[in-house]
Amino acid sequence: MTPALLMEAMVNGVFLGLVYALVSVGLSLTLGVLGIVNMAHSAFVMLGSFFALELLRGWGIPPVLAALVAAPVFFGAGAAVHRLLLRRTASTSEAMGLLVLFGLLLVLENGSILMWTTDTRVLPWQPAQAVLSVGGFRVALGRLVAAGLALGMIGSLDLLLRRTLLGKVVRAVGQNPDAATVLGVDVARISMVVVGAGTATAAMGGVALALMFPFAPQEHLRWLAWAFLVVVVGGLGDVRSTLLAGLLVGQLEALAGVLLPFQYVYAVLYAFLALTLIFRGRGLQSAQERVL
Amino acid sequence: MVEPARVGRGPVVGAAALLGLAVGIGLWWEGLGLLSTLTNVFLFLLLTQAWNLLGGYGGYLNLAMAVFFGVGAYTTGILAYGWGLSPLLTAPLGGVVSVLWAAAVGVPSLRVRGPYFAVLTMILGFLAQVLAYNVPWTRGAMGIYVSPLPWDRRTVEQFFYFTYMGLALVVTGLTARIQSSRFGAALVAVREDELAAAILGVRTTWVKVAALLLGAFWAGVAGGLYTQRIGYIEPTGVFSLDISVDVVLMAMVGGAGTWQGPLLGVPLVMLVAELLRVGVVHLGLFGARIPAEFNRVVFGGILVLIALYAPDGLMGLLRPFRGRRLRV
Repeated sequence: MTPALLMEAMVNGVFLGLVYALVSVGLSLTLGVLGIVNMAHSAFVMLGSFFALELLRGWGIPPVLAALVAAPVFFGAGAAVHRLLLRRTASTSEAMGLLVLFGLLLVLENGSILMWTTDTRVLPWQPAQAVLSVGGFRVALGRLVAAGLALGMIGSLDLLLRRTLLGKVVRAVGQNPDAATVLGVDVARISMVVVGAGTATAAMGGVALALMFPFAPQEHLRWLAWAFLVVVVGGLGDVRSTLLAGLLVGQLEALAGVLLPFQYVYAVLYAFLALTLIFRGRGLQSAQERVL
Repeated sequence: MVEPARVGRGPVVGAAALLGLAVGIGLWWEGLGLLSTLTNVFLFLLLTQAWNLLGGYGGYLNLAMAVFFGVGAYTTGILAYGWGLSPLLTAPLGGVVSVLWAAAVGVPSLRVRGPYFAVLTMILGFLAQVLAYNVPWTRGAMGIYVSPLPWDRRTVEQFFYFTYMGLALVVTGLTARIQSSRFGAALVAVREDELAAAILGVRTTWVKVAALLLGAFWAGVAGGLYTQRIGYIEPTGVFSLDISVDVVLMAMVGGAGTWQGPLLGVPLVMLVAELLRVGVVHLGLFGARIPAEFNRVVFGGILVLIALYAPDGLMGLLRPFRGRRLRV
């Protein structure tokens, strides 16, 4: 293995990491602010990929624009999920909320298979295949666009949460919903906004992923695992640490891809995720109990 | 100790009649199709009861029953393929290996609670599948063939019919006993409030581990028999997330955390699956393609509806009519 190969893997890892951060940030947000484990998260990621595919095939809309269109559409979808499903289970039990989302996952996944079949697709956007030379490294334009999209979205989300009143209110709900209610915050509405925003970023992450990888309806659970990995490594509800964790996971995958035989990459990443969940799961729980 | 609920004569007579019917079908029914379907019902009854202990009574949502099932199936596969051992021997061994696997991987997972446990088990399911594809002794994607039992087809089918039926009945009876035992009460206490249970002196770790290992054993036995019955296994099939999800769905439909729940849920879900398959094929809604996904869309919808409107399943819906004798 040459150092050049290793460097190229690491550069690719940065692009991967940025996109992983975008894919995960919604999961981190809903979990950190509302204490909801969104099992259906990756189903929306997958739907985002197909959204980009359909817009490109139907109207020739390029993926970056498709991501911008996806934001309001999937925000609405997420808000509907909160309104129709999550609000009802909020008062019963955690397990029921989880089952609702798992049922939603099954419906979305298999509905997508009925609609688009199990074939693996590639986004037919020609510029994605163009190869650029960035600082001596060869990078596919699709990856660059995906990473740029991810960075832009994460940056805006971070600004939104830190600099605006809405962001402040969201953080307040995350810290103590009761106190926020006392101060006149409509917690139910803010929760709806958070789930909507989480779903919107998931779909945009799906668009970004479609620029980098082939996709198929039944293969999205891998992204759920990866998003969990990012959340478990990075902690909850904070956009910047999610970004860092995403970059870390990107490096991990890129390096594992170079250093290990291909078939062991998944085994290693799943094992790593299982171990971190076992040893950091309690940390997440206490964060969640603080939230609740 | 919880007083076992007194049962009138009606249910006992009904259960005896059903049992007689099942035995009669096993002995004399001509069509192998029905026998095979009912064997699947008993297989899933076994798996669902195995899940029920930790998942239903204990409230730990395990999304990886397929792992225990698959480990059992591969134990039989490897032993029968490599050493030619008989299924009577390999099935219990499958249970034992499954328990060992549960002890090694599952017990540490019990540190994690709530939704994280569900996610963790799902990840462990993926991990098991990836491993089964790649470790040398499972033959990876090629899968393992096992030579069939040396009897005619009907006898083989009857053998598995009665074996699975017997096991399912034993486990159901055991679950009923556990429900009214201290162990069952301790599990329910863990589900309702683990911290409070621990403070009141329930050995929560021990209780959870016991429920997990017991469930792993039965699922391993079920998987061990499965290999011999089907004759061929490969990682995608036996470690499928679908198996794990079906088990949870069946338990939830009937009522998780009751021993009667799986008795209602398993046949009902399988009946719906059968009706959907036949119905959709006849209507030709989706052309010639096998609409297995249509099944799963409906099941996903059912899961959502149950979680929203009937969290205690059919048992929860039936309870008001039976009078709430055990309520304070």
